[in-house]
Amino acid sequence: MRIIGETHIPFLSYRKIAVTVSAIVVGAGVLWIAAGVLNPQIKALRFGIDFTGGTQVLAKFREAPDLGRLRSTLTGVSTDAPIIQRFDEAEKHQVLIRLQVPAGEQADLTRPVIDRLAAEFNADVGRRFDLNTQGSQALSLLLVDADPDRVAATGADPASHYAPMADAVLEYRRQHGIFSSLDELNGVPELSPAARSAIRERVALGSFALLGVESVGPAVGADLKKQATMAIALSLMGILIYVWVRFQLPYSIGAVVALFHDVITTLTALMITQREINLPTVAALLTLVGYSTNDTVVIFDRIRENLRLRRGEKLEEIMDLSINQTLSRTIITSGTVLLVVLPLFLFGGDVINTFAFVLLVGLFVGCYSTVFIASPVALWISRLLAARREKRRARGRR
Amino acid sequence: MDRKIIWRIVITLVVVGTAVFALVQKRIPLGLDLSGGIHLVLQVKTDDAIKAELDDAALRLKTLAGEKNLPVGEWSADVGALGFQVAVPAGTDRDALGQLASDYLSEYNVDAGPDTWTFTFKANVEAAVRDLAVRQALETIRNRVDQFGVSEPVIQRQGIESDRILVQLPGVDDPTRVKEIISHTAFLEWKEVLAGPAPSRDILLTRTGGQVPADAQVATEDREDESGAVAGKDYYLLRKAAIVTGRDLRTARRGQGQFGEPVVNFYLIPSGGDKFAEFTAAHIGDPAAIVLDGNVISAPVIRSRIRDEGYIEGNFDIETAEDLALKLRAGALPASISYLEERTVGPSLGRDSIVRGVRAGLVGLALVVVFMVVYYKLSGLNAVFALVLNLVLLLGAMAYFGATLTLPGIAGVILTIGMAVDANVLIFERIREELAIGKTVRSAIDTGFARAFGTILDSNMTTLIAALFLFQFGTGPVKGFAVTLSIGLLASMFTAVFVSRTVFMLVLAGRDRVETLSV
Repeated sequence: MRIIGETHIPFLSYRKIAVTVSAIVVGAGVLWIAAGVLNPQIKALRFGIDFTGGTQVLAKFREAPDLGRLRSTLTGVSTDAPIIQRFDEAEKHQVLIRLQVPAGEQADLTRPVIDRLAAEFNADVGRRFDLNTQGSQALSLLLVDADPDRVAATGADPASHYAPMADAVLEYRRQHGIFSSLDELNGVPELSPAARSAIRERVALGSFALLGVESVGPAVGADLKKQATMAIALSLMGILIYVWVRFQLPYSIGAVVALFHDVITTLTALMITQREINLPTVAALLTLVGYSTNDTVVIFDRIRENLRLRRGEKLEEIMDLSINQTLSRTIITSGTVLLVVLPLFLFGGDVINTFAFVLLVGLFVGCYSTVFIASPVALWISRLLAARREKRRARGRR
Repeated sequence: MDRKIIWRIVITLVVVGTAVFALVQKRIPLGLDLSGGIHLVLQVKTDDAIKAELDDAALRLKTLAGEKNLPVGEWSADVGALGFQVAVPAGTDRDALGQLASDYLSEYNVDAGPDTWTFTFKANVEAAVRDLAVRQALETIRNRVDQFGVSEPVIQRQGIESDRILVQLPGVDDPTRVKEIISHTAFLEWKEVLAGPAPSRDILLTRTGGQVPADAQVATEDREDESGAVAGKDYYLLRKAAIVTGRDLRTARRGQGQFGEPVVNFYLIPSGGDKFAEFTAAHIGDPAAIVLDGNVISAPVIRSRIRDEGYIEGNFDIETAEDLALKLRAGALPASISYLEERTVGPSLGRDSIVRGVRAGLVGLALVVVFMVVYYKLSGLNAVFALVLNLVLLLGAMAYFGATLTLPGIAGVILTIGMAVDANVLIFERIREELAIGKTVRSAIDTGFARAFGTILDSNMTTLIAALFLFQFGTGPVKGFAVTLSIGLLASMFTAVFVSRTVFMLVLAGRDRVETLSV
């Protein structure tokens, strides 16, 4: 079977249009990013708490949470307004709460957020043991203290008797996220009947459980931002040098210009969709950098081979020929990567979604830039260098 | 059969066998984002240690000078200037004091002014004090975490000179409590009560004329109402110098008081016991304050001479009593610490991520397999075989090296599926081209593999360069991704180039003339 047979598409003849359009897109993207840096009011790159610093709490509620009530409860914890949104499917009752820490402040907002939530939503719990927020060690202590099975009297160690029960209860919570009712304790067979009723007597059920808490100090955030920028810049440099050594200067410049285009265009897509940029997003960007050069190098490799085979032919024609010869490979490989990234994007869940989005956009952008940016730029630079060499030689003759 | 083919099969079997063995022997450790747990980066406020060192040196000077009849006045420490100043009255023998300073405070430069002497750190002392504080903090945190009972904790300094400490505790389901246990300074002191309790500072100080005496300090205790909420504060005037401190503790345990309420039992080391016995014998009927991090937690009346054991009451419940005992056993932190970064992942979230990631990966794998077989027919089957081996090698290598599997790492595995077939695609496309220009099957396969190899090497190298910087940059989950991606690429070069070639050779072996190739 064959998707594409032999093609003779004059790709390079479209180079002026393609490069002009791309230059406009990249230029607009750079301006947009710069505007966002200079004026935070403008919605440009949306950095997540990994880079801005702040606190993020993912909570699961027993009943459908009232977002308005959450918002009013948490307003005032930080000078910035809290961002509160549903997470995943609505029937999971999960809410993502995000608070930014204003620059210059060191405050860890985790504690105040949890305390305020507890004061507002768990008022009925009071000082009782909240089975939805306490851990297995605390539950084990509670059981040891109550000693419903009268283990201490037999001389055995109460801690080793009750710890597995506490672990089993917490394992149940781990699987279900939250206890909706104390009757669910019947679903934990490890509990002895006496222990079960002891727990029922002593604990209360808070209305929420914490699924995840993240808190990043502004200083760490700024550090990470610097490191991420450095990592991307250095990997572009590394690729520039590698391609320079393996091929020639014009090709390495072509490859890096194409990569720069890929990164900026993908960032622009992130700005348009206002998706958040976090550590995994940067990981995806770097992957895209690697993947996109991969494509470019395959074409350059073919150009190098054809240059040896067809001496005397124009570089432009050789480039077109090479792109056409590798076209089916380019499309098939992009296709197989698409086959795996698309399910990841569609079914991977909220945590991984932006990551997959970057790869998805990068796949198309990288494919395009390989053909329409990398080779034309390499062509121009070679001609430029050739012209300069010619001039120098002419001067030398004189 | 050709010797060459046999060797290739042996090598393949050994490599794959090693990977399978590693997979069976060890399991791939899950990252915190999948297993659930807590990741903390904390900063040791080493300024606290500098301040403590300066105060300690000044106090030492004053005491020693007092013993030698060299009266010196008040002192004040300045952390920013890394030194302290002492007032030296006119009548003091300056030479004798200078001798004392060079004998006992050798780590300080002395600038003897007309009425104040300035002591500042000599070179390197500052760095040594800060370094020691971080190392002590590391040790204390390690003790506390060990006592708390977390399996496979990671507790390490971030960099040699750094004041940051990384703590990773997998499987912890109670992050708030753990955070409190780690960050609490827990510096315990027993102090003599000079006056108090009084409802306000002014009332407390009426007898001393509104002034705090030079050797005393004011401390407060939270007063609680029936329900346990803080209702106000009681003020105490305490002697600055402690009778004994947490350093004199041998151990501490949660116990029960007279009415069954939780208390913390403590046991002193012999030297501490001597000091305590001497003090309590002389002060029967007086209160002594138990001070934790500068706050009075209780001020019981001394009823008898106490030698080496006693108990601390406070407003404890079982958990706070247990935690305080733990912290006292593990020792106090030499400086306060703050949290720079915290990431807690509940295990249910991690489990959800694994299920979804694996599901997405299987769908992707199925699609790629179907495509390869439809598009390249039997050769496609060869590629699928290589792909499966690639996955086995990738997972085996991760198990062997103990590389952590994180959520982005799962994405890395999935991405590897998509990218690994690239090598096969390059080879097969090349073979098709060679066949198209009329080469025989054997020579088409030979040139196809030979020509494609250079391309595969170059194109994978660039991805490896990006992965290298990614590894160098990232925190846990991102590092996991970089590792998975790199191993996957290396494995794909082995399976697609070496193993697939072997399969072709095996198929063609024993046939003299091959007319067609299913590609």
